[in-house]
Amino acid sequence: MKNGSPAPGDSEHAVFASSLVKRYKKTARPALHGFNLHVQRGEFFGLLGANGAGKTTAISIFSTLFPPDSGSVLIMGVDPVQQPNKVRLLSGLVPQDIALYENLTVVENLQFFGRLSGLHGKQLESRVEWCLDFAGLSGRAVQLVSTCSGGMKRRLNLAAGLLHAPQILFLDEPTVGIDAQSRALIHDQLIQLNKKGTTIIYTTHYMEEAQELCSRIGIIDEGRIVIQGNPAELLRQSGKGTLEEFFLQLTGRELRDV
Amino acid sequence: MHKIIAAAIKELLLLKRDRAGLLVLFVMPAILVMVITLVQENVMELTGQKKNRMVFLDMDGGKLGGLLHHQLMEGYFQVTAWDTERKNSEDIRAAVTGGEYQVGVVIPEESSARFEKRLADLFKKNKQQGRDFVSEQVPVHVFFDPALLPGLRSAVKAQLRIALETVAMEAKIGILGNEINRLLDTLGVTQGVMTSSTADLGERFRLPLLTLAESSDSSESMEMPPYNPVQQNVPAWALFGVFFTAIPIAGTILQERRSGIWSRLTSMPVSHIVLFSGKVLAYTGVCFCQFLLVGVIGSLFFPYLGLPAFTVGHGLSTLLLVVLCSSLAACGYGILLGTVCSSYEQASALGSITVVLAAAVGGVMVPVYAMPILMQKLSVISPLNWGLTAFHDLLVRGYSIAAVRVELGCLILFFLFTLLAAWKFART
Repeated sequence: MKNGSPAPGDSEHAVFASSLVKRYKKTARPALHGFNLHVQRGEFFGLLGANGAGKTTAISIFSTLFPPDSGSVLIMGVDPVQQPNKVRLLSGLVPQDIALYENLTVVENLQFFGRLSGLHGKQLESRVEWCLDFAGLSGRAVQLVSTCSGGMKRRLNLAAGLLHAPQILFLDEPTVGIDAQSRALIHDQLIQLNKKGTTIIYTTHYMEEAQELCSRIGIIDEGRIVIQGNPAELLRQSGKGTLEEFFLQLTGRELRDV
Repeated sequence: MHKIIAAAIKELLLLKRDRAGLLVLFVMPAILVMVITLVQENVMELTGQKKNRMVFLDMDGGKLGGLLHHQLMEGYFQVTAWDTERKNSEDIRAAVTGGEYQVGVVIPEESSARFEKRLADLFKKNKQQGRDFVSEQVPVHVFFDPALLPGLRSAVKAQLRIALETVAMEAKIGILGNEINRLLDTLGVTQGVMTSSTADLGERFRLPLLTLAESSDSSESMEMPPYNPVQQNVPAWALFGVFFTAIPIAGTILQERRSGIWSRLTSMPVSHIVLFSGKVLAYTGVCFCQFLLVGVIGSLFFPYLGLPAFTVGHGLSTLLLVVLCSSLAACGYGILLGTVCSSYEQASALGSITVVLAAAVGGVMVPVYAMPILMQKLSVISPLNWGLTAFHDLLVRGYSIAAVRVELGCLILFFLFTLLAAWKFART
């Protein structure tokens, strides 16, 4: 890390990010600029922000897709830049896009990602079974993903991130474009996972969703966290009726992705 | 290794369900090798690289026709003799002009008698109007296919002249032998002065005193199959198919890059080297299957099309090494395409065009020696040329692995270069 090192005791945090900066080539503004975030182990944390605010960039750095330009970060006490493979074993990523092979069946996708996670034999079989059940796709195991509905794909996309039973799960807008039933199933399953001790970092545009699921939220704007706390507490302090009104009060009505 | 195998299995499953990909990788080279070989077989016929089809009509029915027919059969002709009761010289003209045969030969009626008469005239005093008289030459009519190349026409004429001269020479020697015997009898010389009887003088004169000793660079110990379109095309078009694997490889990389799969894979405890090794392993297997398919077509199916069978010779293990190196080069190119291009359409177009160009320059479509000098110089930069040269060195020239080490080295270097270029491009 270029700017400082995490303080002692940071291993208590699931995520400890300090002064992160990330700039993409040929862009006027940095995607992250002085980004700080502390998430306790076992938390269900919501990262809210407009398009282009920096949510996906933060998640990408946490899940070792690329390093920050500067700043420090620890995931479950491990530096993702120095020890990416260790972080990869501890964490799971559910990307915003459907990260599945359309021409493989549901079970073939799970078996492939499971093997790459280091699972094999009976352990692989049992985790694949668990994931199929988790996603409500036990009866669709041999169906090609290309023939699955949007909701089925979203559920499978989530399950594929859980094959190696990660301690921390990064979810990048996992319920975009699906029906109420699939969304409810995903919410229920995530709540169950969190209750069993999995730390969840959840990015979303849906304020009600964050309010319903998250024990704490952080609002990100122009590459930095502008406020974080318990959703009900934040609402009470702001005096606004809804989280969306509060969000707009904080971040303004100007478009962020122009 | 466990993860590499998992990645390879995934690639094969994806390819199994990609009908267009299977068509490009297996059906296209199979069809190309058959069509192009059949076409080239005909071209070889036109350029004299195989026996010319000749139709022979003996209107005379005497000794001359039999002797000439025998001579032509021994030469570089595939002779079909027509029945004079059903056909005439006009039929021959029509058949040759129409391209059914390349050469037509007609022995006119009374030719044998005229030939014998001319022969006799050559050896006796025959005065007419106070001057030596020898009867006219006996014409043998010949027709050529108008499409026959001038060089080949000259070669055919030369062969016909040799056949005619041989027949004439044997007849002259026979007469000469008889004359000698007669003179010896007249002079009362005892038989046996001659070291051999005059009867077999003809046979003895036919034995060549000089011969062309053709030397080749082929390995002395190996009997190599003759060079023909089959030996040229089977490895050439198999190699062409192998390099087309670059397109499906690029396709899977682009699919992974453009969906969230690449992000998921990068976030997993697996290195990019393992992921790409899986692709290379799977597609190297595919390349071996392509070679097997095209080779089996060449060996077992070509004879049914009237073509010679493809033969591998003795260097099968070295041949497999060339297949391996060519496959690695093709996989490397696919990885580079998948990294540099931003869409499947782009990779597909760029991949097809570059592979076709490399094939054309590399001697897959036309042998390099038949190209202009500039193209011959350019051919050395084509990976398909390296592979094809290695195949020809093994299959046609009978060289050992040591002789193809430069080509194999170039293919491996190309593989490493493409991986390095892809890595550099991905980083920037």
